[in-house]
Amino acid sequence: MNNAARESILGSIRSHLAASLPFDSLEHPVHPENPVILSKPDSPPQSLLELFAQSLESVAGHCIITTDISDALKQILTALKAQRIAISDSPQVERLLHAADLEIELGVALNAHDIFRFDVGITTAQAAIAETGTLVLDSACERHRLVSLVPPVHIAIISASKICETLSEALTLLRSGEEISPAVTFITGPSRTADIELTLAIGVHGPQELYVIIDGST
Amino acid sequence: MNHLSSETFRENARAALADAHLRGALKNATSLFGEKRKAAAASLPNWEDLRTQASAIKDEVLSHLDGYLEEFVGKAEARGAQVHWARNAAEANSIICGLATERKARVVVKSKSMTTEETHLNDALEAAGMQVVETDLGEYIIQLAEEPPSHIIAPAIHKTRGQIGELFTAELGMPPTDDVAQLTSTARATLRDRFAAADVGISGVNFAIAETGTIVIVENEGNIRLTTSLPRLHIAVMGIEKVIPRFADLDVFLKLLPRSASGQRMSAYQSFITGTKRRATDEGPEELHIVLLDNGRSRMLAHPVTRQSLACLRCGACLNVCPVYQQVGGHAYGSVYPGPIGAVITPQLMGIEKAAQLPYASSLCGACREVCPVKIDIPRLLLHLRGEITPRKGSVAERLAFKLWARAMMSPALYKLSSVAGRLLQRVMPISKAWTSGRDLRPIESKSFHQLWSNE
Amino acid sequence: MWTSIGVSSVEVLRRVGCEVEFDKRQTCCAQPAYNTGYLDEARLVARRFIQIFEESKADAIVSPSGSCTAMVHHYPQLFAGDTKWLPRAQAVAAKTHELSSFLVRVLKKEDVGASWKGRLTWHDACHGLRDLNIKSEPRTLIRNVRGAEFVEMEHADACCGFGGTFSVKYPEISVAILDQKIDAIERASVKAVVSGDASCLMQIGGRLSRKGSKVQVMHLAELLAAKETD
Repeated sequence: MNNAARESILGSIRSHLAASLPFDSLEHPVHPENPVILSKPDSPPQSLLELFAQSLESVAGHCIITTDISDALKQILTALKAQRIAISDSPQVERLLHAADLEIELGVALNAHDIFRFDVGITTAQAAIAETGTLVLDSACERHRLVSLVPPVHIAIISASKICETLSEALTLLRSGEEISPAVTFITGPSRTADIELTLAIGVHGPQELYVIIDGST
Repeated sequence: MNHLSSETFRENARAALADAHLRGALKNATSLFGEKRKAAAASLPNWEDLRTQASAIKDEVLSHLDGYLEEFVGKAEARGAQVHWARNAAEANSIICGLATERKARVVVKSKSMTTEETHLNDALEAAGMQVVETDLGEYIIQLAEEPPSHIIAPAIHKTRGQIGELFTAELGMPPTDDVAQLTSTARATLRDRFAAADVGISGVNFAIAETGTIVIVENEGNIRLTTSLPRLHIAVMGIEKVIPRFADLDVFLKLLPRSASGQRMSAYQSFITGTKRRATDEGPEELHIVLLDNGRSRMLAHPVTRQSLACLRCGACLNVCPVYQQVGGHAYGSVYPGPIGAVITPQLMGIEKAAQLPYASSLCGACREVCPVKIDIPRLLLHLRGEITPRKGSVAERLAFKLWARAMMSPALYKLSSVAGRLLQRVMPISKAWTSGRDLRPIESKSFHQLWSNE
Repeated sequence: MWTSIGVSSVEVLRRVGCEVEFDKRQTCCAQPAYNTGYLDEARLVARRFIQIFEESKADAIVSPSGSCTAMVHHYPQLFAGDTKWLPRAQAVAAKTHELSSFLVRVLKKEDVGASWKGRLTWHDACHGLRDLNIKSEPRTLIRNVRGAEFVEMEHADACCGFGGTFSVKYPEISVAILDQKIDAIERASVKAVVSGDASCLMQIGGRLSRKGSKVQVMHLAELLAAKETD
């Protein structure tokens, strides 16, 4: 049934494009050269780490640069008085949390049914973009989708070496493997809206707070 | 839902002009959005290069749309997505209702999708017995209020916080407040359990990548991520024009879109979804269905001027700078797509008969063309449409007037006569009540320039 | 309809050393028909314009109207695909200039010896600004007018709401847009508002006078032609 619709639509596209041909030659459309080199803004004077921290903070994210991640985790979770912590399936996250040695209820690789009860979600990030303060989470590497979204606080852990400068580099990285994973998420700060009188409200459906702990040790 | 019609734009506009609340809201919203966009564009020294590149990429795709669509579909299907083709709104709604009904769905959560508003999908789903919940805050507000959206990216911009507070009290039993943070957290709490209960999640698509079969969806709230990862079934609805060729092209579009829409460097979330999950135990929906909608878009390919309309990123930048939109707002257009872009795509999608006034409701100032991230020449499009509509719909009086005008312009003798006549008429009676209702006429001259020149 | 614009333009061009001719056969650039969608009538009148002006031996065709100049620059679009008229349209368009653009960009004259006393502001007419990129030229010329105090009003580049037949097809919207411009003019506390397009000046002047305002409207040509004794 749907094949009729497919052929009809493709046919309509082709016939209308054909009708356009005599007029096309009168216009002078610009065609992209491949590859196009766009004029690139000057390179930042600071380090990528500093640029990332600045970018993240400008969108109300919290950036912690440290060599002791467990300690950083402990401080954040204690300050939040968080009890129910959901984590991804990353063995590194589980290890770091155990090392923080806290009295908490732990949920690992939870499903949709259970995750709504939890106060904090912890994941790693596979890459980050300094120019915008963006985290790159790849579902092929880590089960991140719900744990970085549902609990009101999201903590992401990333090594400084994983920070690249530009969006373009991050896109190239994602494209570089065999195939793109089924779900990749870019996260830039906590969730927000300005739908009511254009007044900014932080924390809508996604997390209200985002902490990024950067492992500064090389 | 009480929709105004495009056919009564003139009356709609009059009513809007008389609404002081609305005009105040519009003034604030459009000037704030406009300033943010301007600052965001200025912060990128290569902004003009990006616009040129984006315009070129869109032209490339649209000029070869069949090939790129087929490539996208092939790649998406190879990764497990099921793709459906819908020739028109009714067919799209039927496909989507069918999918939901087959899976015995009762609760449908939706994230903001102009395309589904275009097809009036919600009405169809409700008629099929489903509960439909809009999850984007602005869309949720207008759903409760039973109103159509008034702006492409901020659908509830015409409502004050006071009005929204009253609405929440009436519909949700919330204690009275106009505090934005409280209103937002009430919406969050109320919608959480809808997400958890949902059988189907319906989203739009910002970009569909031909090279990889990936759909890309951009947001700030997080509701799109919830809509597309919690329910078992995800249906993504997209106009056929949303395709872009390569994954790398996202660099250009993801820089232009958030800056043009809301002055942000980057929106809070981008979801890149390619097919379905690999293992049953992975997170995410079990099924991904992509619905491709034509509904008049393929017709727009027939001329390079109209083809540009399909490049639109739905950023709303043109609305914010349009002197007409700034005064009358979105509802007056009687269309899901208001403002300058709405004035050109509504007649093309819905048919000229339904929206003949819209292309004339512009002073042709060109502010829209200046801010469009993909360089759509909207004034040129408006003139193109006027050139098509006028022969069909110009009033007899107007047609006659212009025929006489042309006669006069072709003959210096007649021209001289017409200026004399014009000057006399001005002396005797107002040329047009439409002018003089708000403005005085210039005092008449006793001699024309032609006469003065002759006397030199 | 506004003879002193033509008279002033001639005066200014002569003052800077141009030899000015005026072909009395000319009527209109066809913009009203083009903008309202009457393309056949527009082409009829445009062809006449082209015929008249291509006969001229002048180095340039100068118009004191940004919108008329922009219309002439659109002639190639109007005659796209017409192998006979397209090259003729292109030739005439290439020679046609708006007054301020001609003075500053072509003749390199920024001071035309004008003097006018008082505080004034400039309204950017849309076609001149967005089709012809005229923004700095009028301001440069105005700044050299002896005795004139130039102030930039808010949103000088916002549309006045005229838009040709739009002003009478949608008069309430046209006036609503106009009132934003009037507010900005009033906040600038000026004696006069100057612009490069007669249509904008009629729109703005018509509302100022309806509101009983003392603010004058002046065409750029009139300002530039003004001398001490005026």
